[in-house]
Amino acid sequence: MTGKPFMIAAFAIVAGLMALVPQLGSEYWLGVAFIVAMWIALIQSWSLLSATTGYISLGHAVFYGIGAYVLVVSLDWMPVPYALALSGAAAGLLALVVGLPVLRVKGPYFVILTFGFAELVKNLVMLLETRLGQFSRMIFDAPSLEALYYAMLVLAVIATAIAAWTAQSRFGRGLAAIRENEVAAEAIGVPVTRLKLFAFVASAIIPGIVGGLLVLRTSYFAADQAFDPAVSFTIVTTAIVGGLGRVSGPLLGTLFLVILSELLWARFPQAYMMILGGLLIVFILFVPQGLAGLIRKGLGRA
Amino acid sequence: MTFTISRRTFLAAAALAPVTTRLAMAAGAPLRIGYSMCLTGLFAQAAPSQVNAYELWKDQVNAAGGLDIGDGQRRPVEFVSYDDQSNPANAVRIYEKLITQDKVDLLAAPWSTPIHLAIAPVLARHKFPMVGNTAASVKLREVKPGYIWFPTAVIPDKVGEELAAFMARENVKTAAVFANVLPLAQEIKTYLLPALEKNGIKLVANEDFPPDIKDMTTLISGANQSSPDAFIVLSYPSDTFLFATQAKQLNVKAPFVLSLIGPTIQAYQQAFGTGANNMVTVGHWSPNQSKWPRAKPFFDAYLAKYKEAPDALDSVLSFMSMEILAQAVATAGLDKEKLRETIASATFDTINGPVKFDGVQNTATPTSFLQIQDGSLELVWPESIKTRDFRPKTGW
Repeated sequence: MTGKPFMIAAFAIVAGLMALVPQLGSEYWLGVAFIVAMWIALIQSWSLLSATTGYISLGHAVFYGIGAYVLVVSLDWMPVPYALALSGAAAGLLALVVGLPVLRVKGPYFVILTFGFAELVKNLVMLLETRLGQFSRMIFDAPSLEALYYAMLVLAVIATAIAAWTAQSRFGRGLAAIRENEVAAEAIGVPVTRLKLFAFVASAIIPGIVGGLLVLRTSYFAADQAFDPAVSFTIVTTAIVGGLGRVSGPLLGTLFLVILSELLWARFPQAYMMILGGLLIVFILFVPQGLAGLIRKGLGRA
Repeated sequence: MTFTISRRTFLAAAALAPVTTRLAMAAGAPLRIGYSMCLTGLFAQAAPSQVNAYELWKDQVNAAGGLDIGDGQRRPVEFVSYDDQSNPANAVRIYEKLITQDKVDLLAAPWSTPIHLAIAPVLARHKFPMVGNTAASVKLREVKPGYIWFPTAVIPDKVGEELAAFMARENVKTAAVFANVLPLAQEIKTYLLPALEKNGIKLVANEDFPPDIKDMTTLISGANQSSPDAFIVLSYPSDTFLFATQAKQLNVKAPFVLSLIGPTIQAYQQAFGTGANNMVTVGHWSPNQSKWPRAKPFFDAYLAKYKEAPDALDSVLSFMSMEILAQAVATAGLDKEKLRETIASATFDTINGPVKFDGVQNTATPTSFLQIQDGSLELVWPESIKTRDFRPKTGW
């Protein structure tokens, strides 16, 4: 069996199974599936920029947070679907505006800059909310969990499809060229700046909508929570454990870590954090290809 | 012969009956109470003051033969709890799991305002009543009444008004106000400023500061230049400690000094010793209020079990919420609708005096202020429940 149809079939089966979760009739498992879909959507989007170009963003929480904020503010004037679209648009616009200056720096400087930028926006939103006399905001009459789940699942599927398309497109090859050697890529005519900016904007839109969906789920917005840097850290950790640069990586990483956390958080929450730290070290040192790489190797041998 | 024996047997059985049934009931299936806690993440440091109160309550209930569930039946209590990583989205999932998967008998509250607000819709959807505790915001009033209640008296609009009235009574004419940008501090400030103006108190400084502030010297020395009568620092624990350290270094002379959250934690007094003396803070409970006969025993039991004093805000609210739940269950049993009606309408006797809910809010406990006086927390405002008179701060 060749790789490509097999992979497409596998993804279709996973998506189909996830679409059936609401039929279980268990709100708990629906909640778990919602989280799984959320991380897949976030990590696939993040990978679009960071895994393909090697520009590791440690500030993706900023797009997620801005999406949450825009949603909770715009909900006063418009129905939920429009507000969600606006969340995505706002996140994309933010990426467009900051993209040019931010993408000029590389390596560790880019990592630090993205993290700092996310904290800056968080504090600006907190200040703005204070000035407006709003300290936190609540949402009433949010859509049902089932509706939110289907929306999240659609985002996860779209993000995965984009990742799969990118991997074999001219666009994706351009991004890979940037990762391997940006100067050389530019010299042979790859439109480096445009591609990077495009990837950055594309990787921001879905997290913006995800942030909007999550705030509908918790029905409460406070800036310090919406821009929680732990979101950015979890994205990077899960992506590394899953395997960078493979479409199946975010999927495997998310499933593995969500299942692990469901098993452990019941009784050993601190152990979960320690195991997560240990796993990260083990994967970076010994399994740089992540779970996706391990499975590929296993299949190759068999 | 047979008659006497059977009578004797009967009498013996009759005498033993209450004992055996009580033992059988107490040893029966334990009653499971679920909650989520902030064991890791943003609020992890604060969580023990809540969990400790829950554990103490459980010990006392089980030592008394279990929780009275009406009809004279008692069942031992056990907790089912999960870590929510201080994340409201996780807490929502945990409460759904507790209700639908674990099928717990009762629920206890999570930590913090955001998490209370986040789980309110879950409770309403499953028609599962829960008495809240560690949440304080004017936003609480926007929650649709039904399945959640908030016993706190720290509601920012009332805190603002009462504080200004209290300051005016103590002859404060000028004040410096510093506020953390986090929600509770900002809410209180919003209501405090107009109330100060109404009471003729002049503002000499009014500044906001970020949650992770590392140095307050410019703020403090700036205000010191106009030597205000009061320093009102709407701070969270870490900045409360920072302020006390630097106010001492910069020799703040104001007789009225308030820090918002922190002075009720025992570590505060341990860290500053006499420097903490006569600090004012927000809170509505003191172990020394003799009108509340259960207050002192709670304090002593907590001290004995954990070798430290309970936090006068959060440990007390957490314990109160369990007392309310227990009394409601004793009247209504475990039926959720009956329980909801009882919590919504009855008056409860707690370590903080009587509690009665109107909508989601406790209207029986007055908004009050505490002062540290020689190592003890005393209620100094309002008149109706105060345990001591206010004392001006004379030094650090």
